[in-house]
Amino acid sequence: MKVALFCNTRYAGDAPKGVWPVPGHTYMPEVATRSMDRTLEQIKLGDEVGFDWLTVAEHHFAPFSMSPNPNVLAGALTQVVKRAKIALLGPDVPVLNPVRVAEEIAMLDTISDGRIIAGLMRGTPNEYVTYNINPAESRERFQEAVQLIRMCWTEPQPFGWQGRYYQHRSISIWPRPVQQPHPPIYMSAATPESGEFAAQNRLGIGFAFTTVQIAAVAADYYRKQCELNGWVPTPDQVIYRLGMHCTEDDEEGIEDLIEAGGGQPAVGLTMTNKALESAVAKSGYYGRDIDKQRARLQSRGEVRDRIEKGQVLVGTPKTIIAQIRRIKDILGCGVLDLSIGAQMGEKTLRSIEMFGKKVIPEIKAL
Amino acid sequence: MFSEAFVEADGFSIRYLSAGEGEPLVCVHGAGGLRISRALELLSARHKVYALELPGFGQSAVNDRTADTEEMARTVAAFAAAVGLAKFNLWGNSFGAKIALQLTVQNPESVRTLILVSPAAIRTTPRPVQGEPTPELLYAQPEKHTIAPVSAEVSAKQRALVQRLSGPPRDEKFEASIKGLEVPTLVLFGTRDRLTPPENGRIYRQLMPKSSLMMIYDAAHAVDADRPEAVCEVVGDYIERHDSFLVTRQNGMIHP
Repeated sequence: MKVALFCNTRYAGDAPKGVWPVPGHTYMPEVATRSMDRTLEQIKLGDEVGFDWLTVAEHHFAPFSMSPNPNVLAGALTQVVKRAKIALLGPDVPVLNPVRVAEEIAMLDTISDGRIIAGLMRGTPNEYVTYNINPAESRERFQEAVQLIRMCWTEPQPFGWQGRYYQHRSISIWPRPVQQPHPPIYMSAATPESGEFAAQNRLGIGFAFTTVQIAAVAADYYRKQCELNGWVPTPDQVIYRLGMHCTEDDEEGIEDLIEAGGGQPAVGLTMTNKALESAVAKSGYYGRDIDKQRARLQSRGEVRDRIEKGQVLVGTPKTIIAQIRRIKDILGCGVLDLSIGAQMGEKTLRSIEMFGKKVIPEIKAL
Repeated sequence: MFSEAFVEADGFSIRYLSAGEGEPLVCVHGAGGLRISRALELLSARHKVYALELPGFGQSAVNDRTADTEEMARTVAAFAAAVGLAKFNLWGNSFGAKIALQLTVQNPESVRTLILVSPAAIRTTPRPVQGEPTPELLYAQPEKHTIAPVSAEVSAKQRALVQRLSGPPRDEKFEASIKGLEVPTLVLFGTRDRLTPPENGRIYRQLMPKSSLMMIYDAAHAVDADRPEAVCEVVGDYIERHDSFLVTRQNGMIHP
């Protein structure tokens, strides 16, 4: 089992809640700078204590994750992370220029000497407002962009692209990836359509904002589709993201999370703006499994319920190892991506350190 | 609307379909014979399209005379002269691409631009099927197309001729002849082509560094049937502007 650490550059000051886009009238630059420093400090620690990957993600217009371009943050990480891989999970490709994404990732792979994991995402529904892209086009744009990005990385001669959504007369990127033929590609596979596309294109998959039980159904569907396409994915080709807080005492861990706000019902960026979410749903964004997909994004429950659903690892190293074994048994994932959702200062640093020193050595062989 | 006519050229009576007005575009078909794709229909809105039937294809007599694609290229050049064209744009589809390339090597001054569509002039992989390719190999969405049935007799005649003319998969003499070709050349490949895989595109680009390679996304071998608007747009622009087609003229302004 490999473990990734996802430090999501949360703004460390007061900000409006329950809205998206989030107004910036309380924004303080010095707080934001401190927040970035804190993220880099946690990432550096994660690298030192043995995490296999360090993760960055793309979100816009919100203090929850001040990383509108994960590749910029990954550029900083190449200078901080000495050992681990840097996982881009990832650029929201349908709202971006795919050639630019291919160039940036190739650049990062070159600077990091081949340590980049290339997650290519559709993004959460709200991100379609960010750059004014019609969410009805999301899936087709995504599928075309992934194939264009892969060709940018692998085609040695200048080529043009006459697509449905992207048109280029001549492309020949420099630098090109260090990893050959290209960095490992992952995508979200929460929907059946995504599972089919990943299987057809031999891509790895990842799950976030879900439960381990729901993810297991989607992962089984993906594996069946892979079989139909004549290949078998490795365990490392399934990533599962969840929260983590590691402590000396089980009850203390739960109390810490409740105190930090993790016990309150909370929703993701999309569901904070009902009108937006509803319009995105009407566009066909969610695909043929719409009801399940929308239900999945509804509020999270209290901490004990979230442990049961595989949404958070919490407690002592021993407890957490048992929780990981259970998730592995249900889902068969080879990579856990651990999110530091609630920031708790010194407690968070201790949690990362304890996980690295006491949990990682015990689960490597899983 | 395409209309049918015949013209005497190089000792053959050659059937051809033509439509439109404007810059002439002479089209050499693939191994399956003469078909007017949707892309050629669209191109005939701005160009005068001449789609000829190579001697030995369709209802024409068995062609025992033409020895190789070089000779067939001379027949196509004679066809162009017979319909009154001194300088023209040339389109070669799949098997027809080698003939179009050879015509261009033989008469570079006659060819304004060369358009190679899923060219099979250089073959790196064995054909996935023997005989007529299935709709699944020709089209990315086979359910959207119907192929006019070709009689077994015509099919056998055409296949024998293609077999005899095609030459080896990698033809050293031919490849040396197109090296450094100066005539503006656009090479199209479908990203889902399994008969002439898009990876072959780089070989043409290496041999002819002045050519432009264009991937037609989500198209199989019959790119001009699968993505006709996309093919027509880029071919039309290339015929009109040659290498200047690199610079877009698309208007980016949303509101004045």
